Amino acid sequence: MSLSTDQITEPGAQTPLKPIKNRGSRPSLTSTAVNQLERLGLPLMLVVLVAFFTIDGSTGELFTSSANVRQLLSNQAVTGIVALAMLVPLTAGYFDLSVPAVAGLASITFAQLAGPAGYPAWVGLLAALAVSLLSGAITGWLVAGLRLNGFIVTLGLYTLIQGGLQYFTDGQTISSGLPDWVGSWGFETFLGLPRPFWVLVVAAVVVWYVLTHLPRGRELEGIGSNERAAHLVGINVRKDVWLAFLGSATLAGLAGLMITIRSGSADPASGPAYLFPALAAVFLGATCIRPGRYNVWGTMCGVYLLAVAVNGFTFLGADSWVSPVFNGGALILAVLVSTLMGRQRERLSGSD
Amino acid sequence: MRGLDKTFPGTTALRNVDWELRAGEIHALCGGNGSGKSTLIKILSGIYKGSAGGTIRIADAEVAADEINPKWSHEAGVRVVHQDLGLFPDMTVAENLSLGRGFEKSRISGISWRKVEVRVRELLERFEIEASPATLLSSLSPAVRTEVAIARALQDQGDQHRGTLIIDEATAALPLHEAQALFASLRRFAARGQSVVFVSHRLDEVLSLCDRVSVLRDGDMQGTWDTASIDEAALIRLVVGKDLEQVRRDARPSTQGPSALKVSEMDVGPVSGVSFEVARGEILGIAGLLGSGRSELLRGIFGDLEPRRGAVEVDGQPIRVRRPADAMSAGIALIPEDRAVAAAFADQSLSMNISAAVLRRYWRRLRMRPRSMARDARALVGQFGIKAARVDQAIDTLSGGNQQKAILARWLQRDPRVILLDEPTQGVDVGARAEIYRLIGERVAAGAGAVLVASDFEELASFADRVLVLRDGCIQAEVPCAEITPHRLSQLVYSGGESHVAVH
Repeated sequence: MSLSTDQITEPGAQTPLKPIKNRGSRPSLTSTAVNQLERLGLPLMLVVLVAFFTIDGSTGELFTSSANVRQLLSNQAVTGIVALAMLVPLTAGYFDLSVPAVAGLASITFAQLAGPAGYPAWVGLLAALAVSLLSGAITGWLVAGLRLNGFIVTLGLYTLIQGGLQYFTDGQTISSGLPDWVGSWGFETFLGLPRPFWVLVVAAVVVWYVLTHLPRGRELEGIGSNERAAHLVGINVRKDVWLAFLGSATLAGLAGLMITIRSGSADPASGPAYLFPALAAVFLGATCIRPGRYNVWGTMCGVYLLAVAVNGFTFLGADSWVSPVFNGGALILAVLVSTLMGRQRERLSGSD
Repeated sequence: MRGLDKTFPGTTALRNVDWELRAGEIHALCGGNGSGKSTLIKILSGIYKGSAGGTIRIADAEVAADEINPKWSHEAGVRVVHQDLGLFPDMTVAENLSLGRGFEKSRISGISWRKVEVRVRELLERFEIEASPATLLSSLSPAVRTEVAIARALQDQGDQHRGTLIIDEATAALPLHEAQALFASLRRFAARGQSVVFVSHRLDEVLSLCDRVSVLRDGDMQGTWDTASIDEAALIRLVVGKDLEQVRRDARPSTQGPSALKVSEMDVGPVSGVSFEVARGEILGIAGLLGSGRSELLRGIFGDLEPRRGAVEVDGQPIRVRRPADAMSAGIALIPEDRAVAAAFADQSLSMNISAAVLRRYWRRLRMRPRSMARDARALVGQFGIKAARVDQAIDTLSGGNQQKAILARWLQRDPRVILLDEPTQGVDVGARAEIYRLIGERVAAGAGAVLVASDFEELASFADRVLVLRDGCIQAEVPCAEITPHRLSQLVYSGGESHVAVH
């Protein structure tokens, strides 16, 4: 895949300085190998895990059953979209913790309007997206406009929205009166793969395109690298950050719709379950493909690595404590490895 | 009796320096940027080691220069108050005087605030500081803050006042009368045997407040004089160096051509009512101390700061600038001060850094064109003589000079009509400096106008066609080409001026 300036990058980008005319000379084999390993570490780990659970006698049959594969791909669509929503502002260096709550808000809005309130489904869909956009606009205004700390503002918003949903729904799941296609749409397949998975694929491609192939996306990365310098090269930092929060909220709304559509109901408590896996996937993703940068395909690997591991362990008969232990451990290990590799790289380039 | 005697053998920073400091004197240490002042202070406080062969003696204790360490210096009574003071503005005076030293503990090992307060009160009394222990540091005036920093440095000496207090430009932000009040208290400590080393750029202050003055230049100790026996002109000559008078300038034909930039009555930051004009083909220098408003003036023109008042014209056309993008489309470029903070995208590739100001050029047929971006970057790398292995390596793997050339390439490829340069050769080696000015010179010769802010007067003397002296936000003097010498600029910038504006 083409990732902007890094595309010209052959592996082994960060080698000791040489005069420009030696540009054609190849970096040493070991440093190339180290870089490739770093770039592809997470995807390789995913492949190894899949292979292990496929080959292992006690899990193989269940793990590779088409029902399980479909379930796995489909289940993670929401987590993946939530992770993408967090990725967009994070590219510019801003946390958005409100994403899972906004997804919950969209989920409830859609279910309430299309179900008990009796409006046509398209009204519910549009209203859910509108509510998400509104919340993104407010967050963007607080963070980009008033320069408040994004981490705190979105943490506050997350808590506030969760509380509001509890109040509004009385803690009850909304399921009555929804059209029939809600609940079944998500179980149908397209080209042999579940529809929600395709939604994720489309969302990922769109986010990847925006972040790496629109000037605005490159600007966001510039802001994330050095906000002051970005301002001084003429980038409209406030507008870009505001738009990033708006984009994030749109994706959160999409995730919310997927929650309702997949389950045929809306649970006000569904949002928080996505916070940790999505955030972990984004951070895991930054350790591969383009090490050190938050990136779309790394994030996707992160989502499915965590999901496959938890799924496989469940078939191995692991207790429920295993999955959080694995999630946490994987995150720390990934950061450890990528940080140590980054330092090694610095030493290589600094020693010249 | 105490006295110290130090010899640092030939490092590049300091060449065979002998220096003596008497007990109970206030001794000024002067020198330009890169003269070795900071190195000397850092060796004295044990942060750096000297090279083998040198010795440092404080009172009865003696140590080889290559074995000095912070612990030894501390025990020998060396205390440093740095320019930025190193205080915690959001904490109280009592907390500031306790952190690092330790708080008094109560029996159950929590902090005994009562005991802390007793100690701090006594301390404030001893140092005659008008503040109470519970005052937030940020609500104190800069002068009192400096006093608190000094009290913190000296607090554990008790009433003894023997030892060496080094004040490293800590009064740079103080108005003269406040600095005088501060010196009154330093005098009292000195009378009791405290030695004070006072590092300063402000020569008038040095002469009126200190007993003796030593001058460092290019790592050589020029000597030590009684302040009574030397005048300001002589001191400036010592700091700047005699031979610099003869810096040869290419006397550019003074092209009083059409104006490239015209600024009228601009008020921004400490700057007030500044008007000037830059002709095409001219490099206008701006000389001024930190806090004179020199950076704010450039940032105001570029739209990074919002001017309270004033008009800007580029090539005779009035322009309205609200943000940097407006200035850029009017043909203005700004190479900001402090590359790491304001210009470099440290973790991004060289090619991204070079193209940052023209990013949208590479969006063609619905996608970014990193290959053509890299191709252009490679061409610029060659043209600007940037030493880099590849354009996809992160810019922070390059040396400072090469990074700065990349920033220059970022802006000059836009063919700006007006180039604003704020300390363009900060942290850049001599070779790269010459390269940078050659590149700027080419653009200026081709019809652009440039404004150059530099605190190195030699640099201004070598490259500016005309210099404006900025003091306290106002233009104090205009020096025509023929009269620009480092000496003359130092005189205009340093001398006079009862009121110094405190700006951080």
